[in-house]
Amino acid sequence: MKYLSGISLFALTLALAVAGCTKSQSGGSVSSNTTAAGGGGSSAKPRVGYVTNGVASFWVIAEAGCKQAASEVDANVEVLMPAEGISDQKRMIEDLLTKGVDGIAVSPIDPENQTELLNKAAKYAKLITHDSDAPDANRLCYIGMDNYTAGRMCGKLVAEAMPDGGKLAIFIGRLEQDNARRRRQGVIDEILGRSEDPSRFDPPDAEIKEGKWHIVGTYTDQFDRAQGKANAEDAMSRHPDLNGMVGLFAYNPPLMLEALKQGNKLGKVKVIGFDEADETLQGIKDGSVYGTVVQNPFEYGRQSVTLLAGLARGKSLADLGVPADGFVNIPARQIRKDNVEEFWAELKKNLGE
Amino acid sequence: MKKILGIFGLLVFICVMTALMSDRFLTEFNVENLIRRTALFGIISIGASFVIITSGIDLSIGSVVCLIGCLLPWMLVEKELGVPLSLLLVVGISLAIGLSHGLLITKMKLQPFVVTLCGLLLYRGITRGLVQDQTQGFKSGFSTLRELSQGQMPLPGTEFGIPNPCLILLVVAILAIIFLNFTIYGRYMLALGRNEEATRYSGINTDRMIILAYVICGMLSGLGGMLFVLDVGSAQPVDFGSFYELYAIAAAVLGGCSLRGGEGTIIGVVIGAAVMQVLKNSITLIDWIPTNIEYAVIGAVILGGVVVDELVKRFAAKRRAMAQANQ
Repeated sequence: MKYLSGISLFALTLALAVAGCTKSQSGGSVSSNTTAAGGGGSSAKPRVGYVTNGVASFWVIAEAGCKQAASEVDANVEVLMPAEGISDQKRMIEDLLTKGVDGIAVSPIDPENQTELLNKAAKYAKLITHDSDAPDANRLCYIGMDNYTAGRMCGKLVAEAMPDGGKLAIFIGRLEQDNARRRRQGVIDEILGRSEDPSRFDPPDAEIKEGKWHIVGTYTDQFDRAQGKANAEDAMSRHPDLNGMVGLFAYNPPLMLEALKQGNKLGKVKVIGFDEADETLQGIKDGSVYGTVVQNPFEYGRQSVTLLAGLARGKSLADLGVPADGFVNIPARQIRKDNVEEFWAELKKNLGE
Repeated sequence: MKKILGIFGLLVFICVMTALMSDRFLTEFNVENLIRRTALFGIISIGASFVIITSGIDLSIGSVVCLIGCLLPWMLVEKELGVPLSLLLVVGISLAIGLSHGLLITKMKLQPFVVTLCGLLLYRGITRGLVQDQTQGFKSGFSTLRELSQGQMPLPGTEFGIPNPCLILLVVAILAIIFLNFTIYGRYMLALGRNEEATRYSGINTDRMIILAYVICGMLSGLGGMLFVLDVGSAQPVDFGSFYELYAIAAAVLGGCSLRGGEGTIIGVVIGAAVMQVLKNSITLIDWIPTNIEYAVIGAVILGGVVVDELVKRFAAKRRAMAQANQ
C-alpha cells in the first residue's frame, strides 16, 4: 500500500513536469524564444555565456576581460567554470541554452567528442570557441592562440636558458587536451630543432635523448596541485643531476619553485614556465625563473564577449573584423627579466588591483 | 511514505522557488535535461541504496563509472570489438566487480569501507593505465547505441519526449521496488541490515544476500557508467565520474536510507537524486546566485531541508503525545 501511493506520487511528479512543459510551450520553446530575443534588435541587452574548461586563476583574468567587455558593449555576461570535468561542462552549456542566452563562448574540454553538444548549442545560440578550438563543430570562429607556436616560443626560452643543453623534465596538468598536447610538442620540437609539425606526438613517459638534450619525461598531475608538487620532488630525487624544469600549466611553475626551495636547489635548476602566476613573475624578478610564455586570457574574455554581443546585434563576422579562416589570433608573448615589470603592471591594471 | 514526504517536499520547494525566479526552468528543453540527469544519477543511487540497506557502503561507484565509461568507447573504437561483445564485457566486468566486493566482505570478513575504498583506487588506476590517460570517445559514431542515453520516447500529442534513461530508470526502479518489498529475498535484505546476527540465526543465508547487494550495486554502477558515457560522448580517465559515489550515497541517504542499514525506499532515493540535480540546475538558471558557491548552496539547502524535516517530525510526535495524554 505504502508503495502504491509512492508510485502514484512519482507518476504525479511526472505528470506535473509534463504539464509544466506543455504550458511553457505556449510561451515558446527554447528555440523560438532565442530567435525572439535575437529579433528584438539592438535595444535589448545581449546575453552572453562564457564557459571555461575548469576552475583556475587563468580564468579569473579572462572573467575580468569578460566583465570589461560587458560594460564596453552593454551586454550581460555570465562566466561559468565547470568544477567536475566534461559532464559538468555539458550541463552548463545545456543550462545556458535553457536560459536562452544569445551567444556562448566555450573552451571545449574534449572537442573531438563534443561535436554533437556544440552543434546543438550552435543551433540555439551564436557559438564561438576560445582557448581551445573545435574545428569540426559549427562554431562561428575561434579566439585564442596556436598552442604549438606558443610551445615553440617556450622551447626557445629553454634553449636560451640552457645553452649547453642538459637534463630536462616537463610538467603539465594533463595531456588529453589538444592545447596541452600541442604546447608540449612545441617545446620538444623547438629544443630538438625539429621541423614544424603539430601532429607529431612523443609518448609522455618515454625518455628522449638527442644531441645535448636529455628529456627525462613528462609528468602529469591531473590538476591535483599536491600531486603536481610531488611530481616535481620525485623528478628531482629520481634525477639528482636535473638541469632544467619546464612547467606548462599556469600552476606548475609555482609548484616546481616550492619543490626546488625545499630541496635547496633554487637557482641551480633552470625553471621555464608558462602563463602568469604571481609566483612565476616574482621568480623572474628574483632570477629563480628564466622566463615564461604568457597567453592573454584577458583578451580571450574581452574579445569573446565583444564578438558575441556584436553577432547578437545582427552584425556579421566580417563587420566585426574576424578573418575569413575564423581564427582570431591573440598571440602569446615571451616574458623575461627585462619586460616582467611592465607586463605585471599591465596585468594588475586589467584585474583592477 | 512519511519518510519520503520530507524529501519530496524539499524537491517541490526547490522546483517552485526556481520556477518563480527563472521563467526558463519549466521549458521543455530544461525539463528534459533534468529528467535525463536525474535518471542517470538515480540509477547509480539505487545501486548505492541496496548496499546501504545491508548497512554496507560502496565507495567505488565513481571509479566503476569511470572504468566502464572509458572501457566502452575504448573497446568499440580502439579495439573494434563490436557492440554485442563490448556490452557483454561491460556486464561481465560490472558483475565481477560486485561479486568480488561481496565475497571479500562476507567470506574474508573485510570491512566494506576498506574493500570499496581500495576499489575506488584500483579501478581508476587500472583505467588510467589501460587507456594511457587518453580521452576515450565515440568520435561521432555509434549513434544507434548512443540513442540509449540521448534518445527519447515521444509522448503522443505533445512535442515532449521522455528521455530514454528515464525509461531505463523506471524499469530499474520498479524491479528494485518489487524485489525489496514483494519478494522474500528483499525482506531478508532489509532484515539483515537491521540486525545481521538475528537474521542469520533465523536460518537465513545472510552472506548470500550481502553478496547479492554488492552485485546489484556493481551492475547498476556499470549500467550508470555506460549511460553516462553514451550521453556525454567521451570520458577522461582522470576525472570521469569522480565524486559520483558521494552523490549516489547522498541521494540514498536523503531518500530515507539509514547508513545504519535496514531502511530505505527506492522512490525516495530517486527523489533524492533529483534534488541534487535540480539544485545544480537552479544555481545556473538563477542569475543572482554566483555559480562558484554552488557546493555551498547545495550543502545549505539540503541541510536546511533535513533540519526542517526533523523539526516537523518532532512537532508532530509531540502533538501526538499531547493528544494521547489528553484522552
